[in-house]
Amino acid sequence: MSKSHAVLLPQRLDDELWELPVGTVAGMRVPARVFADAELLAAIELDRSLEQLANVATLPGIVEASLAMPDIHQGYGFPVGGVAATDASEGVVSPGGVGYDINCGVRLLALPLSYDELGNRREALVHELSRRVPVGTGGRGAHEGVRGAHLDRVLSLGPRALLEDLGVGSEGELAFTESGGCLEGADPAAVSARARERGAGQIGTLGSGNHFLELQRISDVYDGAAAAAFGLRRGQITLLIHSGSRGLGHQVCTDFVKRMDARLGHYGIELPDRQLSCAPIGSPEGRAYLRAMAGAANFAWANRAALAHRVREAVRSVLGREAAGGTRQVYDVAHNVAKLEEHAGQRVCVHRKGATRAFPPGHPEIPVEYAEVGQPVFIPGSMGTASYVLAGRARSMERSFGTTCHGAGRRMSRTAVRKAVDGGELRRQLEAEGIAVRALSARGLAEEAPEAYKDVDRVVEIVERAGLAARVVRLRPIGVVKG
Amino acid sequence: MTYRWVDHTADLELEIESPSEPAVFEEALRALAELLAESDGHSDATSTTRREVTAEAPDRPTLLAAWIEELAFLAESEGFVATRIVEINLAGGGLRATVAGALGDPPPLVKAVTYHRLTFEPYRDGYVARVVLDV
Repeated sequence: MSKSHAVLLPQRLDDELWELPVGTVAGMRVPARVFADAELLAAIELDRSLEQLANVATLPGIVEASLAMPDIHQGYGFPVGGVAATDASEGVVSPGGVGYDINCGVRLLALPLSYDELGNRREALVHELSRRVPVGTGGRGAHEGVRGAHLDRVLSLGPRALLEDLGVGSEGELAFTESGGCLEGADPAAVSARARERGAGQIGTLGSGNHFLELQRISDVYDGAAAAAFGLRRGQITLLIHSGSRGLGHQVCTDFVKRMDARLGHYGIELPDRQLSCAPIGSPEGRAYLRAMAGAANFAWANRAALAHRVREAVRSVLGREAAGGTRQVYDVAHNVAKLEEHAGQRVCVHRKGATRAFPPGHPEIPVEYAEVGQPVFIPGSMGTASYVLAGRARSMERSFGTTCHGAGRRMSRTAVRKAVDGGELRRQLEAEGIAVRALSARGLAEEAPEAYKDVDRVVEIVERAGLAARVVRLRPIGVVKG
Repeated sequence: MTYRWVDHTADLELEIESPSEPAVFEEALRALAELLAESDGHSDATSTTRREVTAEAPDRPTLLAAWIEELAFLAESEGFVATRIVEINLAGGGLRATVAGALGDPPPLVKAVTYHRLTFEPYRDGYVARVVLDV
């Protein structure tokens, strides 16, 4: 991609942090800062993401800086890989700062066997996963019965509703989920009829785009103590689930971008981009959005719980009851969400869009079993490369509102990568590298080719050097099911 | 009358140039039909299945976004891909249209229609419009 836009040149603050000062874009209230090294920054400058990051700095009530992780890339309004904290009493909440796929996130399951023990059953397991997990479709094969009053319970309670009503999941899974799988204050009445209609049939479906299931083996262990605390060891099989709130979340965002856009004049808010549409946190629109967003976030956690249930069924079918019973949830984290948190004595609304909460050891909001090592963070790379498990570190609280990166970050457009990569050839190449692939379409597979993404190893190295999170283990893909 | 998809790192940006306002809406429909037919491999221009579409908005750019939203919703909820406009009436801040298309199994590609860089304005002897889709 060529540079077809004004190039903004950030100033270097230290080895991993760069800054666009106030004034770079008219109306900035705070600086815009990005964690990167010179090479990643050069890749970041190829699209409009820095301009978008500077635009975010114009939001009323934004605190300290508009921040970006090294996997930042161009989004719409907010960049993907961005963090914005706004003062809880004076600031705004922006649906675009969370994104359309509310609580798109990842859940990591650890299987009780090694790559060698899996042996020649790998292909059969990937096939069974693809058979049992509905992928790119709207509602076919979704969890029956999650409609009407039951949908209300999912919106209010998240995966706890599936556990209590359908026996899906366990108390242990809830404990090993960010926020226990339930944001407080969710109100089903704040979720529109169309959002409910789009979401009702989609619990337990993966979705398309970059959503996937990935079967992996642990190739490297960097921190033995943290790996042991997370129940992970070299050679072990893991499974990563990447999905979100499906059509329900997309519609909640659409509804509130529109509703707040119509009220900007009333609140005297001027924005450089309509997609930054926002409203004061305490306004009727702001409060309603937070209630609806919490419902969509809970829906997403329930969706990943239903997907995990189907994964266990596949494991039971191929590897037996003991393997299914011993499959343990390491943790589940959100990549797209806004949360009211306390940072440096100030109550703020932290918008994370393509960014992961990374609370350090000792933080009260992480499970007691992980208290000494920090919150687990999962960084999916691209198909064919690697993913990482990290642990939150103390400097994330000082530097990034307790946040780190969320992935490799795209560097090529879908159109460009489709021109460069043949889906069928990519499938053969991945199979030759020992990665079994099941994908809805060759086109969708090509769009997610490894070439489309930045170097995940380098992204992770930067956040570790910056003290936001530290590497625990590296995961190599051995099977992919893609929407 | 033309539309084209512009490279965008994670999303799809649609640019339309048309001689009239209704033609902008028609081009947007054609672009979406192409997008939703591409993976599925079918596009039935002779189909007689019809749907009524209505939308209201305070201005033309927002109305264009609402129009694409309605068409994407029909595809996601019913598997109905509109391939042509039978009739369209732009009056005041709204539109009322009858569209024809086919029932099928379109890929659920369009998550949302964004307001990012959203444009619909006079250009030369006609109009130019731009809309970014989240896919």
